[in-house]
Amino acid sequence: MNNLKIKAKSKNGLVKAKVQIKHEMMTYNVAKRKGVNANFITYVVAKVGERTVFELSSSQFLSQNPILKFKFLAKKGEILTITWRDLSGDGSSESIKIK
Amino acid sequence: MERRKFLGIGLTSALLLPLGVLATDFRKTKPVTWTAKSVNDAIKALYGDVTLKESKEISLKIPKMTSNGMSVPVGIKSKIKAKTVALFQNSNPESAVSVWTVPENGIVDYNLKIKLKTIENEASVVTLVVEGEDGEFYVTHTSVMVLGESCEG
Repeated sequence: MNNLKIKAKSKNGLVKAKVQIKHEMMTYNVAKRKGVNANFITYVVAKVGERTVFELSSSQFLSQNPILKFKFLAKKGEILTITWRDLSGDGSSESIKIK
Repeated sequence: MERRKFLGIGLTSALLLPLGVLATDFRKTKPVTWTAKSVNDAIKALYGDVTLKESKEISLKIPKMTSNGMSVPVGIKSKIKAKTVALFQNSNPESAVSVWTVPENGIVDYNLKIKLKTIENEASVVTLVVEGEDGEFYVTHTSVMVLGESCEG
């Protein structure tokens, strides 16, 4: 199960992170047409240890396989954990070491 | 001691994600925000009846025109210290796109790609609202002309 692609690089303590979540982001309209349930990412959180560095509540209007970019303060070697959840309750979590 | 460079934890279906005590999921706490049709209704559902102050200290970076409504790049920045940041638009069936909860000492410098529906001969207006730590609400808007097929092809 590998929905997440995470890149995080720290320069002078400022981290630039890029996260891509593989998700079809099925909107209500398209789901209706196809006769399936709508399903899209509704929540994404990024933590360094116990510290939350990014938190997003979202709608069906993010693009498919959404790429999210954000910045926060952390050092090389610290562990960044990304967790996402979708409308159906599914989700996953992945961690990487900040470069 | 095993040294791991990459840790992968995959969890699927019927899952209880261990979220911190202060985790905020606006989908749960402010459900009406996400079904509101107009930008004003969505802002009201999220923040209440607040006064919005136009500000140049917050910015929205979006191309003036795009032929791909399925993937419109949006850049969001705020020089004002923020508690939450919210993005809305007036062309899709509902207006709320996303709400960020800004952590303590957080940096508001976000990028994402969103879907915008094509409205014949009319530009979409994207609205950014920043809830300042000072208790004030700041707003800025920008227009995007979305050409071509509707965002849901």
